[in-house]
Amino acid sequence: MGPADLLQLLDQTQPRRVRAIENLLRGRRTVSTLYWGQRYQLLALLSLAKQLDRGALDAAAQQVVQQGLASWDANHERLVLTPRGLAAQQSATYFHPQTADWWPTIDLMTARQRILLAVQVASQFSHHAGHYLPLTTDMATRQFVRNWFHQVKANDLGTQVLAALTTSLAKLDPLVAAVVTGQFTGYQQAGQTLGQLSQTTQRTPWEIQLMQFEGLAQIMQDAKAPTNPFNSLLQPLWQTPVSRSAQITLNTVKQGQTLAQIAGERRVKVSTVREHLLEAAIMLPLAAFPYDRLLAPATRDQFKAVVQGPVDDWQYTELPEALQKQYEFFYFRLYAIWVGKQGEQHGK
Amino acid sequence: MGNEPLTASLERVFGYETFRPGQQAALEALEAGNDSLAILPTGAGKTLIYQLYGYRHAGCTVIVSPLLSLMADQVDRMRLGGFRRSAAITSQTSYTDRQTILDQLADLQFLFLSPEMLAQPKMLTRIKQLTISLFVVDEAHCIVQWGPDFRPEYLLLGAIKEQLGNPLTLMLTATAGQATRQEIAKQLRSQPTIVTESVNRANIFLDVDRVNDEADKKERLQQLVSRLQGPGVIYFSSKQLATDTAEWLQATTGVRAAAYHAGLSGEDRFKIQQQFMSGELDLICATSAFGMGIDKNDIRYVIHYHLPGDLESYAQEIGRAGRDGQPSVAILLYAPGDEQLPLALGQANRPDEAEIAQYYAQPTKFDDSEPTVHLLAFYRQHGISQAAVQRLFVKREQERNRALAGMVAYAREDHCLRQRWLAAFDEQAPAHTEDCCAPQATPLDIGRLDLGRVVNSADKATPMDWQTQLARLF
Repeated sequence: MGPADLLQLLDQTQPRRVRAIENLLRGRRTVSTLYWGQRYQLLALLSLAKQLDRGALDAAAQQVVQQGLASWDANHERLVLTPRGLAAQQSATYFHPQTADWWPTIDLMTARQRILLAVQVASQFSHHAGHYLPLTTDMATRQFVRNWFHQVKANDLGTQVLAALTTSLAKLDPLVAAVVTGQFTGYQQAGQTLGQLSQTTQRTPWEIQLMQFEGLAQIMQDAKAPTNPFNSLLQPLWQTPVSRSAQITLNTVKQGQTLAQIAGERRVKVSTVREHLLEAAIMLPLAAFPYDRLLAPATRDQFKAVVQGPVDDWQYTELPEALQKQYEFFYFRLYAIWVGKQGEQHGK
Repeated sequence: MGNEPLTASLERVFGYETFRPGQQAALEALEAGNDSLAILPTGAGKTLIYQLYGYRHAGCTVIVSPLLSLMADQVDRMRLGGFRRSAAITSQTSYTDRQTILDQLADLQFLFLSPEMLAQPKMLTRIKQLTISLFVVDEAHCIVQWGPDFRPEYLLLGAIKEQLGNPLTLMLTATAGQATRQEIAKQLRSQPTIVTESVNRANIFLDVDRVNDEADKKERLQQLVSRLQGPGVIYFSSKQLATDTAEWLQATTGVRAAAYHAGLSGEDRFKIQQQFMSGELDLICATSAFGMGIDKNDIRYVIHYHLPGDLESYAQEIGRAGRDGQPSVAILLYAPGDEQLPLALGQANRPDEAEIAQYYAQPTKFDDSEPTVHLLAFYRQHGISQAAVQRLFVKREQERNRALAGMVAYAREDHCLRQRWLAAFDEQAPAHTEDCCAPQATPLDIGRLDLGRVVNSADKATPMDWQTQLARLF
């Protein structure tokens, strides 16, 4: 990921932690990473670049600073755009995905493998070519696509797939459609690598990645229709954005158990139960989380009376001592998440 | 099936009527119950030997192969060839995939393993339960080239073979001089029947281009690529340089180039290979990972940007050129001092006397993930004494230096490159003519070789809109 890509992830008023963005991309699902991901409205990027090494954004960060586009805060941890940086961000013809809200609810990596292999299989089949090297995928994908193929095999499979893909891609920026099509492998078509697409389109490799996620998400969305040929292939890849164990914890809370009871039953620490709940609160919409049960309106009022300024600047350690004694950090963080989500809801 | 004549099996499985040179001799040795060391040039069809043997005999053919990232490709090719009960397990195989394969182990006809995987006690226990019809060591020269100071698990193969009950063994390599042959046989505790064909490839013109320095070399490379008829391959010692040069040559010469190395994802490797096979690419900038399994017959030139560490690697890599028998050229770009790089690469992984002593004094104090420490830990765990390890590394350094000296002598040869090359494999070269080679002082005459670049207007594909491109797929 280069400086042009990082520039798009920064803000003029909100200083942003480079390490948090990096951890988000690498899929480190700690509460802290998720919390800042939500604060920066970048949660859609979660786990989209798992292969990144630690420190992989450092060079890009240094470059945006050297180019005068952003500056460090006092601790050299957070970057904020300079006016020049803001101008550069706005003038760049950088790609902005429209489907990003869906991304956390899709297993994009598996979707990509399945779609690419399914397109290859359907393409070869429609040209009556039975003898070809399949794309390199893991065995589970291969098995799944094989089963799908036997299920949907029909003389007009090629026509059906072509029609479905054309409909989905026509809804997108033509460049996105070209990038998604260009990477397909099939009959007498090797397909372009993402690197090659980046070269021919003069877009950064990360932009090409974003474009293909956009395409995949649209194909996923349209495949919800039972008549879409990809329906059975892709339907199982919709997922809740919350991890399995956090989901279990959340369900038990909703049934009325206390955190201590859950911890005892699940044989985990109370702190783990709290982490699960914070993760769920961050990843789910306001209405899907039992705020009233865990953060009574009276508690919210207590916090509201003492905190000031932007949410990002709130510090638990700056709360009045009595309040700190009464409420652990968990409640303070949950309040911040609630306030943040209220803001999002009101279009802020 | 054991009684069917070999040629009948060949016809039944592959549809060919005759074997290629060396295949039959190797199979006959195996059928007679003798281990076989087959030294056959690239493209001679070494895979067919164990495919056919595996087909003719019940049980599992276990293939030890060095290149992790390419083993999955190899399995795909086996399946495509009709050998569906094939699988590979390497350190890169995911846990789920590994379990799936292990569950089906008894049904497999061909199993590919890395030496490191095979050396794991748990895996070895599972493999011991198999009926092994044939034990294959592919790229057997790796035992000698990589074993002592890079992948020591190779040195365990002899002991592993014994633990597996000494199955019939086939050793395969494209190039091995007398010393390498002896070392392979010794390491694998075998007295194999040796099947060998000449390594000489008369249709490959040999050339050494002497350049002054790096800048000069780059310029010469650009010139060559602009003027030579593709498809071509350029070999580098570094992934980064391969990647950068591919981009640079594409931008400056108009050839369609891509990089290929073991660091690419499986998907990218697949696509680059397919593009090269179908003629969408003219040039591959590669590391030594490129080659195995690339069945492209019309490669017209192979250029070496860096000096290989020995003539065996060099022979292996230039052997990718001209498999169709048509005129081709192998060019080595050589600047004085180029031998420093293979020298440094060889030493990078080799502990010196003091390091060995320090490690043996306090082995627990070192980080095992460090390659050198891993190597020493390996030897120590296998009961090799400090003194023996020191002797081993000294000997190894001498061998490497000798091998490199052979390569340098080739680069600096004034008379006949082919003679120099073949002498390393104890072969006599035909009398030198102008059609044989162009040593460092003789300029390369591309026109005379009939290898001048013809710019084909069809190469410049007109960009298609996405709808047309998509429709073409179905």
